[in-house]
Amino acid sequence: MNGEVCLPAGFAALEGFVAGWASPTTAARAARRSASTPAEREAFFAAAAPLLEAAMAHLDSRPLAELDAADKRLLALMMALGHVQMAVEVHREMEPQHAALREAMVITRSVSDLV
Amino acid sequence: MNVEARMAFRPPVDQTAWLGSDPIPAKAYYDPEYYEAERKAIFCRSWLQIGHVCELPEPGSFIRRELEFADASILIVRGKDDVLRGFHNVCTHRATQLVRDAEGRANGFVCPYHMWNFGLDGRLRSAPDFENFFLAKEDCALKQVAVDSCGGLIFVNLSPASAPPLKEFLGEYLVDRLARTPCARATEFSEYVYELDANWKLDYDNFQESYHLKFIHPRSGAATFTPENPFGYPESFGFHGPHRTQMFWPHVDVDAATPTQKLIFGAGARFAMEKGLMPNPTNREYYALFPNFFLFGSPTQHFSHTVYPLSARRSRGVIRIYWVGPAQSASEMLAREYSFLVVRDVHSEDVGVIRAGQRGLNSGVLEHLHFQAMEGLCRHLFNVSNAMVEEYRREAAGTGDAA
Repeated sequence: MNGEVCLPAGFAALEGFVAGWASPTTAARAARRSASTPAEREAFFAAAAPLLEAAMAHLDSRPLAELDAADKRLLALMMALGHVQMAVEVHREMEPQHAALREAMVITRSVSDLV
Repeated sequence: MNVEARMAFRPPVDQTAWLGSDPIPAKAYYDPEYYEAERKAIFCRSWLQIGHVCELPEPGSFIRRELEFADASILIVRGKDDVLRGFHNVCTHRATQLVRDAEGRANGFVCPYHMWNFGLDGRLRSAPDFENFFLAKEDCALKQVAVDSCGGLIFVNLSPASAPPLKEFLGEYLVDRLARTPCARATEFSEYVYELDANWKLDYDNFQESYHLKFIHPRSGAATFTPENPFGYPESFGFHGPHRTQMFWPHVDVDAATPTQKLIFGAGARFAMEKGLMPNPTNREYYALFPNFFLFGSPTQHFSHTVYPLSARRSRGVIRIYWVGPAQSASEMLAREYSFLVVRDVHSEDVGVIRAGQRGLNSGVLEHLHFQAMEGLCRHLFNVSNAMVEEYRREAAGTGDAA
């Protein structure tokens, strides 16, 4: 994104994660998680988890249908955070094994796709 | 937390005593000959859950479903009269499959081979040069399957002439309960599918018992285990003809959730409350509909699972999480995403042991498997299935057909 501001004001700390994690579909978010390294997941989780509550407060200030492009990127990041949270906080060192098993579970439809 | 209620927990082992205690023949879970009998005795005769009414919102809406166990491709269609009908996706001229799209909206179905044109009601409307056939159009309608719905769920039966009414098959209790689940009001869903080297019962049974939870899901299922109920067992079982239910233990350990999980799950619960989905008598109840479908009535994670047999040792699963109305806010969308991914994550933990179980079965080294009292739903599925297989074999022996 070359220094371009992609997220709403107040979330500059997450700008560096937009290109890597703000995927528009559930399947893409799941795939990104599975393809990520432990260091990538931990860095994203450490930056994004403390901002989850503030991000949702900002995004919930207007109806979903009225979110602009920057808001949608922030929402995509928060949904990616959900995926990464399971890896970082629940599966931990077992995540690589789970990633391999999840491969067989093909996401065919999602109500949370932003496209 | 209600301490008295927690202290009172006692595994409902007495509720499964009537099912017996005999070892279970292992062949039922890997033997191609046994599967062939199941295929004919059960799957080609039973009502099978196949879709949801939200997939067919208006006249002309259709879905195509593949039932590999019968080599059948099925079209479910909402007619101009708003009635749901089911047809084999097979042109009655020379058997060409009519429809390739998995879903859509149409005014009718035209065979790509010779342009035979069928209405939404399955009747042959026109066919080029039909005068040169030796047929009447009224004898050329698409072959029908039985279709009905309950609680928003669509069922088909491949033997329409002998199928009992769906509501009779489900019984009064399940008809009432299914109508009250969040799924009955659903307007949309997320879905993932998988294929697995596992017999359909072996795969399905994994989701019918809590015995494995603390060993296979020690972290993702941590909230389920409490000192009073260390295995996270259900508090009761119910048996309804060929179907079964279980009521999950309500006293989960909310402190096991991380702050992030509490935030997201809390939002999901708030939206479920706002939509009137909780409290509801179905919120903790699990509905296992014979032969291959289950639905959980959770207000924040009302998911279904259908296991289609592909062979004696392979199956295909469809997991759906249904939702009532579109998400209105970002938090509601996030809660739906998280609910979906958690189901998929927890499920991924099961896959390895299910595959390992099938490999062990395939070796043929075991003559029997064993179900304990709290695996009673697995025993019930075997008992019901096996009774149908035995009845079918008696019928086949009487008519000289191979079973």
